[in-house]
Amino acid sequence: MNLSYRSYHVFVRNLVSYKRFVVPTFIASLVQPLFYLITFGIGMGAYVGLFGGKPYLYFLVPGVLMSAVSLSASYECLFGTFVKMIHEKLYDSLIATPVSAEDAVAGDIAWGVFRGMISGTLMMVVAMAMGVFPVSVPAVFLLLICMVFVGVLFGSLAMIVTSLAPNFDFFNYYTELVLTPMLFFSGVFFPLDNFPAWMKSFSKFLPLTPAVSIARAVFSGVYSSSLITDFLYIVVLEVIAFYVGVKLMKRRLIK
Amino acid sequence: MKTIISAKDLTKRFGKLTAVDGISFDIAEGECFGFLGPNGAGKTSTVRMIHCVSPVTSGTLTVDGLPCSIDNRAIKKTTGVIPQEITLDIDLTVRENLMVFSRFFDIPRREARKRIEELIKFVELEAKRDCKIDQLSTGMKRRLLIARALINQPKLIIADEPTTGLDPQARHLIWQRLRQLKSQGTTLILTTQYMEEAQQLCDRIVVMHQGKILKEGTPRTMIEDEIGKDVVEIRVAAEEDEKLVGSLAGFACGHERVGDTLYFYCRDGRDLQKKLVELDLHNTVYRPATLEDVFLKLTGRGLIE
Repeated sequence: MNLSYRSYHVFVRNLVSYKRFVVPTFIASLVQPLFYLITFGIGMGAYVGLFGGKPYLYFLVPGVLMSAVSLSASYECLFGTFVKMIHEKLYDSLIATPVSAEDAVAGDIAWGVFRGMISGTLMMVVAMAMGVFPVSVPAVFLLLICMVFVGVLFGSLAMIVTSLAPNFDFFNYYTELVLTPMLFFSGVFFPLDNFPAWMKSFSKFLPLTPAVSIARAVFSGVYSSSLITDFLYIVVLEVIAFYVGVKLMKRRLIK
Repeated sequence: MKTIISAKDLTKRFGKLTAVDGISFDIAEGECFGFLGPNGAGKTSTVRMIHCVSPVTSGTLTVDGLPCSIDNRAIKKTTGVIPQEITLDIDLTVRENLMVFSRFFDIPRREARKRIEELIKFVELEAKRDCKIDQLSTGMKRRLLIARALINQPKLIIADEPTTGLDPQARHLIWQRLRQLKSQGTTLILTTQYMEEAQQLCDRIVVMHQGKILKEGTPRTMIEDEIGKDVVEIRVAAEEDEKLVGSLAGFACGHERVGDTLYFYCRDGRDLQKKLVELDLHNTVYRPATLEDVFLKLTGRGLIE
């Protein structure tokens, strides 16, 4: 693993080029959560009434926050990286400089995390505008830290897919068959308590589930000891995904 | 002269395909060394190993005494690469492209700004400074690639077919810039399919074919050794060959029939030319031998795909 501080240069490169896309992506990142929160929160909230003594939106917001981060980071490391690698040949010129393949991939994952955090932060702002606040000010910062962990995890998982993708269509398998269904199995929109046992155990292994549990606990200030295993699971998974993602991308980039 | 690059039994394999097949060469500091060869000869694979973006399968390869390997940042730091494909960052402007690249080499900002202004002048892109890449012509893009390759003030420049697809004006400007760099003491490695380019720029060349080096030398000695001094091309039906060869062979040092043309290679073509006048042959071309003759003789005239 030939990793160095030069990943930061790759991150800055992405930041410089992002200047041109800021407005459209900001609008997308703002409108999308509005849809979620309005349709699910208000529409469905009216049916489900109070959740643990609070309106449904308090249940929904932390889940949607984490899924927004996971999706943004994934898309950036799928489509964004693929375009840079295949269409723009950016990686080819990068690895001819002292920036190593590992630096380049890590820089792109960091970029995915950043994009995820933009989505997550905007969503939090929207939720606050709708009157849904985390329990305390420190909870806001804890949620931001959660976003970093979720971003690295999903950015790295997406890198693994990108390293194997022959073309754009390949990503559909991952986004349609993995990412989208995952939202419904991870307790984002409703609690998993009523799932049959086997579905509950299956859900537990999905990477988004522990993230949603942690975010929900932080948001409401109600902690339980099972969060420790949730956190450890995320850390272990993300170390493995990062290592495998970087290695596979290097194999693809260097021939 | 000091040797800067040394290759011994250098081999590159991609799966079952052997792209570079045990070649050896030395490149001296400050010279322009050319790799010539048809498509798929192994030129690009060779230079990619030199600038450490492709691992060596077997054999040894050193730059400045350092062994080439993927993780050799020291070699990459002092090497400038003008790639065959246009790998500019299309999301960025001309200046931003250079600025971002300067970061990859850890060049301090202020120094980078100074170099970027000089380089933009050097490749004559002043008017395009703040344009995005899709507003540049192919020639401009290639010039920007040169500027980008120079941002780290490299000791060694690798130019992989730097003028492919350019008009004559753009090509000559690039040649001039490359010669200018060479006169400042930079070592230059060039791969090309254009014989004129090799003749214009290179002190020494190797002709590669199917992963092997067929011939090494200066362009001039290579022409003299392989072809002679002059070439006479006669466009004539093949039935005439026997008669013509019979009456002209004495004046030439070799002949070859290709398609509709009979070629005679001569050390000194003046007598042959006189004889041609005597025979009252039309459709003849008398010209000095070029590197292209050498190239075709060595690598064959068949299409290579």
